Amino acid sequence: MTSTVVHEPRQRVRVRPSLKERLANWDVKVSPYLYIAPFFVVFGVVGLFPLLYTAYVSFFDWEIGDDNPKFLGFGNYVELMGDGQFWHAVGNTLSIFVLSSGPQLVVAVLLAALLNMRLRGPTGWRVGVLLPYAASLVALGIIFANLFGPRYGLINSLLESVGLDRVEWQANRFASHLAIATMVNWRWTGYNALIVLAAMQALPKDVMEAAVVDGAGPVRRFFSVTLPMLRPTLVFVVITSTIGGLQIFTEPKLFDAMPGSNNGGSTNQFQTVTLYLYQQGFEGFDLGYASAIAWVLFLLIVVIALGNFLLTRRMGRIR
Amino acid sequence: MNTRIGRPNFFVYAALTVFVLVSLFPFYWSFLVASRDTSMLSEHIPPLLPGGNFFRNAARVFDAVEFWKALGNSVIVSGTVTLTTVLFSALAGFAFAKLRFRGSNPLFVFIVVTLAVPTQLGVIPLFIAMADLGWAGHLQAVIVPNLVTAFGVFWMRQYIVDAVPYELIEAARVDGCSVFRTFVSVVLPAIRPAAAILAMFTFMMSWNDFLWPLIVLNPDNPTIQLALERLQSGYYVDYSLVLAGTTLATIPILIVSSCSAARSWPASCKAP
Amino acid sequence: MRHLHKGVSFAIGLTVLGATLAACGGGGGSAGGSGDGGQIELSIGTFTEFGYEDLITEYERLHPNIKITHHKTGEGGPYHQNLITKLAAGSGLEDVVAVEEGHFSDIVDKGGKFNDLTEIGPKDVTADRWLNWKYEAGKDSGGRLIGYGTDIGPLAMCYRKDLLEAAGLPSDPEGVKALFSSWDAYFAAGDQYVARTGKPWFDSAGQNFNAMVNQLDVGYLDRDDKLTLETNPGIKSAWDKVTTAVAHGQSAKLVAFSNEWKTGFQQSAFATKTCPSWMLGVVEENAGAANAGKWAVTDAFPGGGGNWGGSYLTVPKQSRHPKEAAEFAAWLTAPEQQLKAFAAKGNFPSQTQALTSPQLQDETSAYFGDAKIGQLYAEQARKVTKAQYKGPGDGQIQENVTTPALQAVEQGTPADQAWQQVVDGAKKIVK
Repeated sequence: MTSTVVHEPRQRVRVRPSLKERLANWDVKVSPYLYIAPFFVVFGVVGLFPLLYTAYVSFFDWEIGDDNPKFLGFGNYVELMGDGQFWHAVGNTLSIFVLSSGPQLVVAVLLAALLNMRLRGPTGWRVGVLLPYAASLVALGIIFANLFGPRYGLINSLLESVGLDRVEWQANRFASHLAIATMVNWRWTGYNALIVLAAMQALPKDVMEAAVVDGAGPVRRFFSVTLPMLRPTLVFVVITSTIGGLQIFTEPKLFDAMPGSNNGGSTNQFQTVTLYLYQQGFEGFDLGYASAIAWVLFLLIVVIALGNFLLTRRMGRIR
Repeated sequence: MNTRIGRPNFFVYAALTVFVLVSLFPFYWSFLVASRDTSMLSEHIPPLLPGGNFFRNAARVFDAVEFWKALGNSVIVSGTVTLTTVLFSALAGFAFAKLRFRGSNPLFVFIVVTLAVPTQLGVIPLFIAMADLGWAGHLQAVIVPNLVTAFGVFWMRQYIVDAVPYELIEAARVDGCSVFRTFVSVVLPAIRPAAAILAMFTFMMSWNDFLWPLIVLNPDNPTIQLALERLQSGYYVDYSLVLAGTTLATIPILIVSSCSAARSWPASCKAP
Repeated sequence: MRHLHKGVSFAIGLTVLGATLAACGGGGGSAGGSGDGGQIELSIGTFTEFGYEDLITEYERLHPNIKITHHKTGEGGPYHQNLITKLAAGSGLEDVVAVEEGHFSDIVDKGGKFNDLTEIGPKDVTADRWLNWKYEAGKDSGGRLIGYGTDIGPLAMCYRKDLLEAAGLPSDPEGVKALFSSWDAYFAAGDQYVARTGKPWFDSAGQNFNAMVNQLDVGYLDRDDKLTLETNPGIKSAWDKVTTAVAHGQSAKLVAFSNEWKTGFQQSAFATKTCPSWMLGVVEENAGAANAGKWAVTDAFPGGGGNWGGSYLTVPKQSRHPKEAAEFAAWLTAPEQQLKAFAAKGNFPSQTQALTSPQLQDETSAYFGDAKIGQLYAEQARKVTKAQYKGPGDGQIQENVTTPALQAVEQGTPADQAWQQVVDGAKKIVK
């Protein structure tokens, strides 16, 4: 019989963790908070105060330079709901948003797919694609005015030369949205394409190779393998371009023939909500009302972005 | 080994060429005007080839504004902001993506939601804050508000979620790496493409920022966009001068972008 | 991996270095510091071109204990936005702040934020330094003088001699006097011109409408800051005349200062143009050498005269050295200095002594056929009899309500619909 050496019964002694183990535990517990701290510290210093300030101001009848603003409660918000110009601006914003974001995202993803290929001189293509984002606004303003000018613009001249009617790019509400959406798409498509490209580069190659081995063609691979795996990035791009699209400010302002105008055209035909906000704040000096517009826009953006987010997640699941 | 899917054919290059030509056009056009005369803008059929005035106009830019000082300030501001944004965004993104901690989801959602707040009115309270801190007129007033952005954190988190598999992190932990060591050895190499592109975006955005520097900086301490804006004075704007200025100001962006883009390939080995 | 460690350390080091450099290198002082030995720092904010560069150096030379920082912004838009932001923030404004006439109505009800210049300014600076209407327009709604007048933009009429000739209309200086003797005559001539050539008479309805409204005794707001639109016969009559002219094809339908407007000069798109003094340079640059000698300017302006543009120097209460700032502003707006600014950048003086100076009287413009423009505009300046009160919101109504509405009319909106747009828009602003 094998003799079993009798040991002392194993006691359930609480062994004090070594210093090293304690440090490691502490490290795991505390590190996350340390890592997110920089953002929140900066936010606390420079991000929080403006948020609280504009929220606070929105409850007052606060004119710039006013030392004794009157408390209105929700008065500004109530007035906003009945403000025709506001809803007109909302319509403009949504219209431009749909015209720009939709095609832009599709093109961006396709562009990323192209850039993902084994290209010659890949760095050059990437920089080239992002360049519109770096273009000076002065140049952009003049170029797009030259393109879309109702009287002397290039596009109208071309239309006329092939026998079509001139388009009132400034005066016509829908045409102006189309023109502005073109400006937006021109500026931001490459930007979004690079974001998608970065994610494409990180996709695990083994899954891709497996799909190739399975005999899936490039298009099938793209839709069934690549896109679903890009979901986190697509979610990111959808949310940020929704937010950016609904906050559009620079492009409609540049588009206005009257330099520096925040009016969005002779009948506010392309005044977006941010332009209206800006006009009320810096031209109308009604800081309280402008702040209310800002927060209502915020709510609108959150709702729509949430909707787009859920949509993107569902689409990812279908495959 | 970096296998990229597909061999590009003629149509791919054609499509890309069209896209890039359309993207490049405003730069070429700016250079065109800068190399000629402002009167070119009124001509019905604009010329397509550059003239010989570029260097003369560029020299005028240097005379008209403190170009080098503004350039230096912009380099400091944009360079710092880019480095810190990428670093802090990666840190926070890593924490949200791969580390488990209390409140991680609500905090992350909070960060994303802050992106939705319109910023146009923010200049007023922000200026008040900067004035109170005594930073008005100094470069930190332009740097500190941009040290790390919600955009960067959001992106890094989305990227890291898929780009850095848990297995690698577990492997590092098992190997005895501290969290920070894991970050440096496992995460940073893996996020190089996204980090490089985030660097490009951040640098460009900071470089082109105009309104906030206008409000918070003083004339003896301008960034490049402020200096260039002074070229637009007068009821009649000399666009060949202005566009010469913007062309010059775009060169640093091109350099930084090219360097970043060149580094935007994934690292060859993901294992530590 | 090693090199990544280095990379991260390098990045952190660079950040710290950058931040340090930024902290040390960012030298710009804020407005109005007081150094040692009574050294006073003043700052002045201007936009576009005031011609003050050499003057500032001269003032520093005359006052060795004063150091001046010139905060110059290229365009008026960003400048005034900056102004408003700092007014709202309560700090950050310069000691001397330029405000354009069109934006003066923005601060006219905020006079409390600005110093009364008759109190803190030099006692020898009195109303008779300036043209009466310019001086009066520098007062806030309480009657306190908050702005010293700098320059003005007296109105004259520019016209294309060759185009008028081709249409069979008189184009010599005597002949055009009849054409431009009144607004009715002006628009009647326009009808003739259109009938004979089928081409537009003027560039933009808004330009003429603004000049017409400016000539009225009472503008958009009365002295009680109430909107007068619905009861002001002058405004409605101006609206009707202008929109009728548009309906008759007299307008080239260009938006002033837009891209196409500039092209319009080259394309000879219109025959007449309201020309404040500063517009001469704009016409010359936009129309270019090809049209040299074709443009002329006459002192015959419908309704007599008028003013568009010009600025004031204010001293905000935020300033820490109001007295010195006011002295500086007073010096800058003295006739001698304004003449120097005129020589440098063409800003037309508003000071009575400057208007009679030989330097001004001898000024000519080669582009406009060697016209004696100094004399011409000095005369036009004197034709303006009173300053129209521009209440809070006046500038906004002009920029954001009437001008866009006239644009809409030019784009096809029926005039009465556009008028309703004007009334609604103005009411919203003045509420």
